[in-house]
Amino acid sequence: MRKYFRFFSLWFGIVILFVCSEKTFAQDIRLMATVDQNVLTVNDRLELTLTIHGTQDTPAPSFPNIDGFTLLFGPNISAQTRIINGDVSVSKGFTYVLQPTAKGKFTIGPSTVEYKGKVYSSQPVSIEVVDTPRASGLQSPDLEKLVFVELSTDKSEAYVYEQVVLSFKFYFQKGLPVGDIDYVAPATKNFMEEKLGDQRQYEEIRGGIIYNVLELRTALFPMMSGELVIAPAKVKCNLIIQQRRDRRNTPPDSFFGEAFFDDFFGREQKRYPVERATGSITLKVKSLPEEGKPKEFKGAVGSYNMEVTTKAQQVKVGDPITLSMSVYGEGNIQTINEPVLVMSNENEFKLYPAESSTQITNREELIRGRKVFSKVIEPQMINLKSTPAIVFSFFDPRAGQYKTISKEPMPIVVESGEQEVPIQLTISQDKVTTAKQQVQILTEDILPIMVNLSSLRNQGNRIYKNPFIITSLSIPAVLVIASFLLTRHKVRLTSDIGYARKRRAYASAKKRLNGAQSALNQHLPKEFYACLSKAMSDYLADKLNISSASATEENVGILLRQRGVGDHIFKEVSHGLTDFDHRRFSKDGGSFDEMERSLKFAEELITKLEKQLS
Amino acid sequence: MKLRIFILLLFLVVLFFQCGMHSADCGLPKSEDRNPKYGISRDAAIKLFTDANEKYLQAAKFIASKKIQEADQHLKEAAKQYETILAGGFKNGQIYYNLGNTYYRQGELGKAIVNYRRAERFMPRNADLDANLRLVKGYTEDREFSTEIPVVIRRIFFWVFLLNQDELSIVAVSLYVVVMIALFFSIIRKYAWLKRVLIGFSIALFVAMVSLGIKIYREQGVNCGVIIATKCEVRYGPGEEYEPKFEIHNGAECVIEDEKDDWYRVYVNVGVKQTPDLKEGAEENVRDDVRRGWLQKKHVDVI
Repeated sequence: MRKYFRFFSLWFGIVILFVCSEKTFAQDIRLMATVDQNVLTVNDRLELTLTIHGTQDTPAPSFPNIDGFTLLFGPNISAQTRIINGDVSVSKGFTYVLQPTAKGKFTIGPSTVEYKGKVYSSQPVSIEVVDTPRASGLQSPDLEKLVFVELSTDKSEAYVYEQVVLSFKFYFQKGLPVGDIDYVAPATKNFMEEKLGDQRQYEEIRGGIIYNVLELRTALFPMMSGELVIAPAKVKCNLIIQQRRDRRNTPPDSFFGEAFFDDFFGREQKRYPVERATGSITLKVKSLPEEGKPKEFKGAVGSYNMEVTTKAQQVKVGDPITLSMSVYGEGNIQTINEPVLVMSNENEFKLYPAESSTQITNREELIRGRKVFSKVIEPQMINLKSTPAIVFSFFDPRAGQYKTISKEPMPIVVESGEQEVPIQLTISQDKVTTAKQQVQILTEDILPIMVNLSSLRNQGNRIYKNPFIITSLSIPAVLVIASFLLTRHKVRLTSDIGYARKRRAYASAKKRLNGAQSALNQHLPKEFYACLSKAMSDYLADKLNISSASATEENVGILLRQRGVGDHIFKEVSHGLTDFDHRRFSKDGGSFDEMERSLKFAEELITKLEKQLS
Repeated sequence: MKLRIFILLLFLVVLFFQCGMHSADCGLPKSEDRNPKYGISRDAAIKLFTDANEKYLQAAKFIASKKIQEADQHLKEAAKQYETILAGGFKNGQIYYNLGNTYYRQGELGKAIVNYRRAERFMPRNADLDANLRLVKGYTEDREFSTEIPVVIRRIFFWVFLLNQDELSIVAVSLYVVVMIALFFSIIRKYAWLKRVLIGFSIALFVAMVSLGIKIYREQGVNCGVIIATKCEVRYGPGEEYEPKFEIHNGAECVIEDEKDDWYRVYVNVGVKQTPDLKEGAEENVRDDVRRGWLQKKHVDVI
């Protein structure tokens, strides 16, 4: 089963191929007569090729009537099939080599061939045979014919901004090895340029010789009126010639001719630079007519059409409506101006500047393209029924007049705008990640005044200048010093016996004097003087930090003098101590007054000593 | 028993201090709520302040509605009332700030800057004041080179720059009291940790006292002024007979170094044009003498 399927597929493919081939072959059959050169000497040979294009199953065409030549050999038959981009072209060539027999101008008559009942004939070819062998000086006309350039425009007159196609053609004889082609474009001052398509490459027969043609095309848009000149274009290239080594002494130009396409072996490559320049072209550019110029015209020249679309049909006041206005056709697409919106009342719509995008759709023959204007309009009123009418005017250079395209207003329904409800809905991630812009400071001004009355108090009175505060600051210091002294006193009382006795001496003396007072009141002289004596001697012993037994008159005298006590006080002390002891042990204790005087004396003496010894 | 008496005494001392602070901070008691020198009470100051604020706000509305004459009239009245409060000895950062705003609206940049600077001494942390002062300084004619203390220093010794004199005083006094309490307890109780606390607070007290001293010196020991005339000539000596040295314009700040009769000797912080052979940007290298000169007292308002 599979085997049958393969067979069927192969058969089907062959049938399809044949059908296509028949279709292709059936078109455009023609017979061409070409020569390798049309000026030659009697010693040269001429190659005449009769080529049938469009089919290969024809008999040999009839050999043409040729005067002045004899057939050396031929025909060599060659068949050629070309498939370029799916286009199949076939041809069959019959080449004859002829030898001129006489000098002069000859014409190779038309050759004919019959195919499927139709007769096709070739064009006649003129040949000139000269007698002198070609010297180097004669090579230039030949070179001119081998390689030449042409510059042309598709029209000699044009309007300002009209599209003009400038065509540059570089011809070189078929088979001529040309390399290093360097093209210098013509200077087109006062024109806008737009490249047209890719470089074209084809063959063309001129004077019976086949040339390879390279064509470069440019669309020009003249920007001012008057006689504008397109400067010549130039091309530089190298002819690559195989030179026979054993003819090194002969001039290189002599290789053009019969030796030119000889065998490769035994030759070396040599490059001959060739430079060709075209003539300049003067283009007459007419300014656009003032007559009939519409007010909407803003300079578009060409052949255009316009489409207008909008999506919004039902909108609210203030909502945007995007009008998409597409202008397309032939001409300078880049410079197409924005179509005009016709409004009866300017306040009906708020207009925003249009954004445009340009697209060149075809640049093969002429510049064709499309410019799309996206214009946002916002209806400002409720009772609007349609969008504004849109008008586009241009000048059609072919018709030689202005044309205006008008698009009718599109119906819309405008509703009143609603108050925005301030509810924060969920925000999609796309919106969150959009780039944030920096705000622009619009104005600069001072900040408002302060009106806080609660903090309005007089700050002029400094704390450190307040005498009350300054005085208060000394109190803690005084307290600290006092506590320090008190603590030290307490510590000495417990640790220093002499200090403690000295501090307590007065108090204990007073105590004993009080005892003496009570003895006085009871009139007990012995007890009284015993108390006085004890008070005196104990006070001195405490003050001088000695034992009571050691408080004799002599010891006390020495120690008191050491402490700087005056003599009169010492005498009183000496007198007191002696007197009190004497009266204590005598029978006569003395009267009450005497005892009272003794008590007073003792009190005054102890007070004096306290002052002296503290 | 004795310890309890000591603690009671200390409480009394602290209470005493707090009362002292309060009376200094919040004004004297009501019977004495009257400036002894000028006799403006707080109530009168509040009334004038409220009226002046109202006038200023009305002027702002007039400015918005392009009624320049009425606005100017209201601004003048507001400024007069603010000045009356201040002349009465009642000083407050808000009043100086509002007065600065009023002068700015009247187009007197110099007076606005003076009052903002005065307000700054009472409200060193106020962002509005800082913004307004920066804005007004931006409009002055003379280019001043920065004399501000570097940010690093300002951050390290932040308390000097963020507290005003009174606040610093309160901090110092509080620390003093704490040190005294700590000292007292360290006398009666020999705790080792108390000694460390005492040392810590003593250092803090020292720093506070030094900071307060610096603050007082900066604000009162150095006399600064602002040019309030549209432009004035700084001369080589104290008198019209001396040649003018250069001209400075409204809002430029200066340090007043000396005075003689009606003239101040000032040092200005404005940029001085260099001689062509000196490169621009080397202003700080200019000798101090170049920026020193004499100008009339009437052209300067002391901060």
